[in-house]
Amino acid sequence: MAQMETGGGGNGKHDGGVRSKKMSTRVDLTPMVDLAFLLISFFMLTTTLNKPKAMELNMPKKTEIEDDKQDVAECQVLHILLDTLDQVWYYEGLKVAGLQKTSFAGDGGIRKEILRKLKSVPNDCPLTSKGNKRDAIVLIKMMKGARYKNMIDILDEMDITGSKIYAIQDPDAIEVEAVENGGVVKEFAKEVVSQ
Amino acid sequence: MPKVKVPRKSTIVDMTAMCDVSFLLLTFFILTAKFKPQSIVAVDVPTARSTKAVDNAIVITVNTEGKAFISLKEKSTRYAMLEKLDEQFGANFPGIQGLTPEQKEYFSLCDTWGSPIEDTKRVTSMNGLEFKEYQEKQMPGIPYDSTNNQLGAWVMAARYATGGDIKIGIKGDKNSSVEYVKQIIKRLSEKDIHRFVLITSLASGGEAAAETTEGAPATNN
Repeated sequence: MAQMETGGGGNGKHDGGVRSKKMSTRVDLTPMVDLAFLLISFFMLTTTLNKPKAMELNMPKKTEIEDDKQDVAECQVLHILLDTLDQVWYYEGLKVAGLQKTSFAGDGGIRKEILRKLKSVPNDCPLTSKGNKRDAIVLIKMMKGARYKNMIDILDEMDITGSKIYAIQDPDAIEVEAVENGGVVKEFAKEVVSQ
Repeated sequence: MPKVKVPRKSTIVDMTAMCDVSFLLLTFFILTAKFKPQSIVAVDVPTARSTKAVDNAIVITVNTEGKAFISLKEKSTRYAMLEKLDEQFGANFPGIQGLTPEQKEYFSLCDTWGSPIEDTKRVTSMNGLEFKEYQEKQMPGIPYDSTNNQLGAWVMAARYATGGDIKIGIKGDKNSSVEYVKQIIKRLSEKDIHRFVLITSLASGGEAAAETTEGAPATNN
């Protein structure tokens, strides 16, 4: 294996007399193996961590077929608005006036609201015309100038909370105004919404 | 009872085989590892918890200025993409017609492309130095206006070239405006492309949450 036959190469002054001492050439390879495995683990860890990841995003097809349209109750819907200052605003149903501010913080942020909505909708909302329970629908709307990072963050939240139905839409004029005014909706806008 | 003598055995194990295996693995990993290709377009990818890997995709990179670039991994598919673009949309874009084989070869060597179709001939006849400067300073990006949807044409051509089942990745900068990405999605929806993958990097625990709060004032100015 790691041994070689040594000896026999002495320049023979006393041929056949004193034999040159046989030295073992066996080398302890343990440190070498240690080193090799260290390098392997280093390379494996660094290469796999650099790979780009991806999240899927499916946009709806523009469809005009009546059957494809679902009936949506007001109580199912949670609107999430993202503004330019990394803040998150949300309101339920059509009540723009109930707009509230929150953040992306892991606990107590928007995640808590989404989870609450996901839990409450199947119990509190009336059944569909086919008699099925309803699921929460999250509508994500980004203001002009919102950062792309926030879009990724909110889609990530959808993944974390397990929201199945969500869509990205353009914000309405009322919503834009409400967010710009810091959550205050003017009286006439409220009326428009309640109609 | 007579004592049973247990013969003492040496505890030294021959490490040669182990060493062989480990170095074999090491060389394998070193040789197969690919270095991250130096990206021409600097984009700071947002972090997310998603762990799906992207192996093969048409990647549309959008930088902070909203310029769009298209990248394909393999040289042969880039060549095929150019041919398909000529074949399918050549009538709309006269700039793509009549490229010489050398120019097509030149195109297929660029892994990221960011020039309007009108410029294809000019860019593909640049020499190395000129091209490098062009890449670094003044790549104008592929237009994606509603009237001049070249990006859509490129993506369609790339899909034809790869058989259609390839994913379409969008790689945006985390600090750029979301409008650019939305625009691109809109333009591609017009071409009946509805499924995308958004390219992210892996978040490490609480770092993501800390970053959102700290990054907030930066957008103010």
